[in-house]
Amino acid sequence: MPDQGTNPAFSGSSKYVLDEELAKIVNISIALEMPLLLKGEPGTGKTMLAHSIAETLGMPLIVLNVKSSLKLVEALYQYDTLTRLNDSRFGDSSRDVSNIQDYIRMGKIGRAFVADTKTVLLIDEIDKADTDFQDDMLDVLDQMEFDIIEIDKTISARLRPVIIITSNAKKDLSDPFLGRCNFHHIAFPEPDMMRQIVRVHFSDLDNELLEICVKTFYGLRELQGIEKKPATRELINWIRALRQDHDFRPKDMVQGKIPFLGILFKKSPDYQQAVQQIRRRRS
Amino acid sequence: MFVDFFYMLRDSGVPVSPTSFLRLHKALKSGLVTGLSDFYTAARAILVKSERYFDIYDQVFAHFFQGAELPDFKGAELDAAARALLDEWLKDPQALAEALGINQDELKAMSPEELLKYFLDRLKEQTEAHHGGSRWIGTGGTSPVGHSGFHPGGMRVGGRSMNKSAVKVALDRRYRDYSIEGPLTQAQMGEALKRLRRMVPVGPRDNLNIDETISATTKNAGEIEIVFDKGLRDRLKIILMIDNGGWSMDPYVEVVQTLFNYSRSQFKDLKTFYFHNSIYDFVWEDPPRRYKPQRIQDLASWDPDSRLVIVGDASMAPYELMATDGSIHIEERSGLPSIDRLNLLAKLFRHCAWLNPTPSRLWSMTRTIGIIYSIFPMFELTLDGLDGAVTQLMSRN
Repeated sequence: MPDQGTNPAFSGSSKYVLDEELAKIVNISIALEMPLLLKGEPGTGKTMLAHSIAETLGMPLIVLNVKSSLKLVEALYQYDTLTRLNDSRFGDSSRDVSNIQDYIRMGKIGRAFVADTKTVLLIDEIDKADTDFQDDMLDVLDQMEFDIIEIDKTISARLRPVIIITSNAKKDLSDPFLGRCNFHHIAFPEPDMMRQIVRVHFSDLDNELLEICVKTFYGLRELQGIEKKPATRELINWIRALRQDHDFRPKDMVQGKIPFLGILFKKSPDYQQAVQQIRRRRS
Repeated sequence: MFVDFFYMLRDSGVPVSPTSFLRLHKALKSGLVTGLSDFYTAARAILVKSERYFDIYDQVFAHFFQGAELPDFKGAELDAAARALLDEWLKDPQALAEALGINQDELKAMSPEELLKYFLDRLKEQTEAHHGGSRWIGTGGTSPVGHSGFHPGGMRVGGRSMNKSAVKVALDRRYRDYSIEGPLTQAQMGEALKRLRRMVPVGPRDNLNIDETISATTKNAGEIEIVFDKGLRDRLKIILMIDNGGWSMDPYVEVVQTLFNYSRSQFKDLKTFYFHNSIYDFVWEDPPRRYKPQRIQDLASWDPDSRLVIVGDASMAPYELMATDGSIHIEERSGLPSIDRLNLLAKLFRHCAWLNPTPSRLWSMTRTIGIIYSIFPMFELTLDGLDGAVTQLMSRN
């Protein structure tokens, strides 16, 4: 049984407002040494969570941004053939051309494996890669080792990193993948939670404005036919804009006059929809 | 521990694996799980791998730990059968009372709903017993009201707050929107249909093939030899036929429209046709089915590798399908019944699928669905159904 000393518990950091349920799941995943797969609509703070875990536990954070063209081996290591070719032609570096080891560079996962301290490894937007990549990567993460073919060497993880994986996809990942992760779906924050989140960003915001902003924001999320609903990020930016505008009076908003709609609705059909529906509501 | 819980999740359709169950026990041993609310969170994170099942999980959890009503996820058949039986028995309350083991006065005190519930509970217990399986905590004893048996006090062991007890949280059913039964959005359809494509090389050779270049270069003793390839494009031909006539399709207009919009924006080579109820001599390119008819026979000259997707509720009067002059349109009188046309289509295009917006549990109740089901592989127009249809359409044989 691990005691609390060796396994520091995670309870949220200064920039990130954590709900208790998620904190529990993070702690259990750390204890079980399992990757944690996070899903949820954009703007629910999936990526922020990894940052805040790293900050709270005092571990270095390594971020692997998955792209559709990414190959697994690139995430593990790279054999820098170009430098070697250059060195062999011109021979003006301290590297030993006959030693391939000198030309192996660790990728993000590789770096997490060879790090001297326990790290937080964030694998962001895994759904962008294809299924084979996902499964192969989980194999590596499961066994905590991989081979460098060029020098016939096995790299094993010294310390098992805390692995956080995020996905935006509505569709499920493959079964073998899911079998090796813990799973959590981050729901969109409730208004109470949202108030706390806003508070974290604007500690000096007055209550009246906060209240009216959050209320209007959730009202706007209810509008029909919007393709991309405004999320936390939009709300924060919107409040920032409102605070910059000296002509703005919270009372106007109570009467249904909503400035800077463009910050909340970024797609033009959405924007038009919103403007129309708000006008209808006022009249 | 919690083996019953595990199996109840399984029986309710949540794909839970034994490995994850063992892992849950590891978590329980770690000392991090100190109360029911911890257990709720931990078990869900470890056992349930998709938010689509969160809702079912919530319901099973609430049922298991507090005996809340558990809907039968296996569908309406039991319900319908029970109702029929009950109607029968209601004519003879004496027999019913005996069969359920309560006296007639108690029986009278129950409302019809209570009675039905009581009966269903008994019935469920019985099927469970036959499977030799789990004990349904909550449907205790012979008490006339369904779930009054097991009621553990002090849910929040350890007093760790989630603002609410875990059962309360579960009863909230926060994840109802994510469950499989929720409506399909365009984004979800996109995900499901993404696999529906066949990439073939077309166009100018302007993609550098690095692997080939390297091997050609080494073969060429180090003189650089560059190899180019054609780019890959999606060249899948899709024929979409939509039933847009009649009131029976009205409730599904929205979901079909979403499917149509997505297909139009996504597939390069898409032909859309419309029909009413079933397919006779013609389908139409225009939604009012008037101006641009397409003779079914002529489809024989089309690429047989095209994927044929038919969207319709397949519900009609049997004669519309079987009779030689079944069409409700007077001009379609070729003497062939619709069923022959459907058979022809299925033969012409071996990659075909029928998407039916009516829930699959109701299919057995409409005769024509059964008939068409035997001709075309039929799938429900839901996320899971689309997935199955895509697998069917892309399979090799």
